Amino acid sequence: MWPRLAAAALGVWLMAAPAVLGYGGAASTSQRIAGPIVAAIAVVAMTEATRPLRWANLVTAAWLVVAPAVVAHDGTAAAVSMAAGALVGALACVRGRRRARLGGGWRAIVRPGVDRPAGR
Amino acid sequence: MTPGARRPDSRAARPDRVPPGWSYNPSAWSERWPLVVLAAAGTVIAGYLAAYQWRFVDTVWEPFFGDGAEIILNSGVSRILPVPDAALGALGYLLDAVTGALGGRARWRTLPWMVVLFGVAVGPLGAVSILLVVLQPVMFDAWCTLCLASAVISVVMIGPALDEVLASLQHLARVRASGRSVWRAFWGRDRAPAPTADAVPRSGAT
Repeated sequence: MWPRLAAAALGVWLMAAPAVLGYGGAASTSQRIAGPIVAAIAVVAMTEATRPLRWANLVTAAWLVVAPAVVAHDGTAAAVSMAAGALVGALACVRGRRRARLGGGWRAIVRPGVDRPAGR
Repeated sequence: MTPGARRPDSRAARPDRVPPGWSYNPSAWSERWPLVVLAAAGTVIAGYLAAYQWRFVDTVWEPFFGDGAEIILNSGVSRILPVPDAALGALGYLLDAVTGALGGRARWRTLPWMVVLFGVAVGPLGAVSILLVVLQPVMFDAWCTLCLASAVISVVMIGPALDEVLASLQHLARVRASGRSVWRAFWGRDRAPAPTADAVPRSGAT
């Protein structure tokens, strides 16, 4: 849960950062697009059944890290983008605790009965 | 938020209601009523915003972003379609609430089409919400509090709705593997006992 909450908070921060720290232009556009995507992916991945979606945030994280090299960023904007990107990427790699058993998950739709949990 | 940790509702936890290999029943009322409440709240919020866009009400409530809500709700994007975008949102939330509420505690196998329709209603609504949240500041440099609240609701619903879809799709896969009609099972017309994982011939080495 907490890796997803932290990632969602970073997404919301990215939406607010351009206004809070006073920069605009391409850097602001980049973060106002990436922010909601980061937060939405993190929120959906809170549910154990959709936890694998956390990997999608590696893509947004990669964009945030390289964005300052691709579109115009001042120093502050670049620092915000790269720091958030590094953190979101690291959080996406944390699986988090799993409590529920889900009958083999999405893979079981293709191969039913194969991924039965042990002991059943 | 973590279904497996929740105290099981004894009737919903009956063995024929918990999907094979699952630790909980995703169709239990304890899993579903929060989504129905959220969808109802979304219907009210989006309905109010549509009422403003149609000018049934003259002003719109905006506590944080000045005239942000007016800018967003009167923007060109919100009027691309013949009806205001919030009206479509309200319809979407209403479909979420209805398809979330209909069906019993084992509807993942007794009514798969309803579960899939629920998932199909929740998923795209969430995706469109994210798109609209991106467009607000990028195209109009404005924010709309109630639009954001509506987007949060639709995104929060996606994960908890899809676990039930997963259980239904696993059920249909077992039906297919056992040689019965997936079509009949999808529409809830297969009254035979649901195949369990054990009834399915295991393919491949394990």
